[in-house]
Amino acid sequence: MYELLLSGIGNILQMKYLLPLAIGTLVGVVGGAMPGITNTMTVIMVLPFTFGLEPLQGLSVMIGVYVGGESGGLITSCLLGIPGKPSSVATMFDGFPMSQKGEPGRALWLGIWASFFGGLIGGVFLIGTTGPLASLALEFGPWEYFSLFVFALSMVAGLTGASITAGLLSGAIGLVITVLGNDPIFGAPRLTLGIAWLEGGIPFLPVLIGVFAFAQIMSDVEKLGGGRSDATRGFVAPRLLVSHLKVIWEILSRPFLLLWSSIVGLFIGVLPAIGGSAANVMAYDQAKKFSRHPERFGTGTPEGIIAAEASNNANIGGSLVTIMAFGIPGDAVTAVMLGALTIHGIQPGPLFISQEKTLAYGIFAAYLVAHLLMLVILFIGVRWFLRVVLVPKSILFPVILVLCVVGAYALNNTIANVYVLLLCGVLGYAMVKGGLPLAPLILGVILGDQIEINLVRSIMTDSNPWLFLTRPISGGLLAASVASMAFAFWQHRRAQKKSALAGGAADF
Amino acid sequence: MKLSRVGWAGLAALAASLVLFALTLGLKPNPLVPIGPGFYPRVVLGLSAVLAAALIAFDLYSIKQPGEGAKPNHALVLLVFVVFGIYISLMPGLGFRISTFFFVAALQSLLEPPKGVKGWVIVLATALITTLATHVLFERYLSVLLPRGRWTDF
Repeated sequence: MYELLLSGIGNILQMKYLLPLAIGTLVGVVGGAMPGITNTMTVIMVLPFTFGLEPLQGLSVMIGVYVGGESGGLITSCLLGIPGKPSSVATMFDGFPMSQKGEPGRALWLGIWASFFGGLIGGVFLIGTTGPLASLALEFGPWEYFSLFVFALSMVAGLTGASITAGLLSGAIGLVITVLGNDPIFGAPRLTLGIAWLEGGIPFLPVLIGVFAFAQIMSDVEKLGGGRSDATRGFVAPRLLVSHLKVIWEILSRPFLLLWSSIVGLFIGVLPAIGGSAANVMAYDQAKKFSRHPERFGTGTPEGIIAAEASNNANIGGSLVTIMAFGIPGDAVTAVMLGALTIHGIQPGPLFISQEKTLAYGIFAAYLVAHLLMLVILFIGVRWFLRVVLVPKSILFPVILVLCVVGAYALNNTIANVYVLLLCGVLGYAMVKGGLPLAPLILGVILGDQIEINLVRSIMTDSNPWLFLTRPISGGLLAASVASMAFAFWQHRRAQKKSALAGGAADF
Repeated sequence: MKLSRVGWAGLAALAASLVLFALTLGLKPNPLVPIGPGFYPRVVLGLSAVLAAALIAFDLYSIKQPGEGAKPNHALVLLVFVVFGIYISLMPGLGFRISTFFFVAALQSLLEPPKGVKGWVIVLATALITTLATHVLFERYLSVLLPRGRWTDF
């Protein structure tokens, strides 16, 4: 394993991979620093650029964006009090007060170094567990795959959004999208609604791009009221000089905090479709609970920054494990990566690490090297990145939408994908307005065909439906699905009680 | 009892599920296998119909909370969708370059109306740079062919 990893690092350090990785990291940092531009949006923007690249080059760009984005978000969180993205919200709770107390450099670099160490811990987990988990998944038959995908979907539906029913309905809508077009087993046409281009089914990348890009852009557009309204006008970059050794020691002298926050991030990352924002807030909350001085949280304590930032970078490692071992995206960014891989004819899943060793270890290496590049890029350009928040949204949004069009069109050079993009954009925005979460929809679209294929295969192999329950792994996974739903139900019930006490109500 | 936005979303999903479910009844079974192409869609559409109905029911019996904050600018959102729709409708005829130039300029002007000559210069320069940069980068360096116009051959 170590030989393969070293060879992967050697591979990535070649200019043809290092340059895309560095560009991706830079774009990720810049995108992450821009309030309102999430990692998903940034990775969607770079997606079309990867079509013409080799698979490892394209994935290097995306991993760079992912790692850079998680770290870039802390810049504006710490220095301006504006989270660059949802997974930097908790960083702001202590980062900004620390900056206001006259220590902006300390706040910023505590976050950056914590991201680095959290990312490395995530890397150890990623490299150490992907192979064994993939070997376990190799034992799976169609019953187990079906149950695994159902488990993933039920978990996401239960854990995202304010209502379990809304989450499940969103996942079901995702599954409905996959039944339009030919059936995946025999190719028989079904539910094409008389539209010729629906016969081939709906590719999931235009759906993903449309749903996420439009939902986010339109949510921002509806807040625009004409004229620039940024809080950064007249902004003067602060002095960011700091003793790095001192900052590193501040982090490493709290090993339990660093490790536990990273484990929280990894755990959240492994859960399908739940991203860094949950990790960031949950790790912050855990750090506060374990702290001897919880009253200091929110006033500029280093523990708050370390916990929040270590967790969201470790979260990347967890997300990559799920996609590489099982072929299930850990979040929206890895869902786009999955799309990029399938464009190159590579199917992530249990066989990926054994059949695509160079690529798999290249991904591990890119992940590790991206963290070093992130440090270098932030060291050189952190003051400059603060300026990017001044770019008006009226310039940014048209450019992003053009890149979305290119991404959807270039998938297989057909304008039909662009129409799908618009339709799914309308659907995504309507779902946001209707209170339906987007993550289950996307997972439903990604897993829909696989759920159907494995269901039909299992029934064709043996028509006894009890096998789904009596085969140990399959039964265990279905039991876990029920348990996750029960947990979500309990959690929502508790929220409802709290809300009722506060004078409102939550629905199920 | 009044439906909130969640309830309306459920109602739309229920209607779509039922229409599609009805369409699956016309799918012919495959004699070679125990289940045909309509089996799985029926399961999925039945599930989504049940969930949508449950969402409507929960919404009817839940206590509605008044909306907070500033009123969203839905008219602007609608206009952005319309401009985007026109852009992608005209793209096969005008080609990527011409349609993208007009789209970027139009959307910028819509989101932040340009003030004075400087404002228009920024709008046109952004539209031109975006169009040229995407064309050169994708066609020349990344081998991604972008749509040519049927009417313009450009």
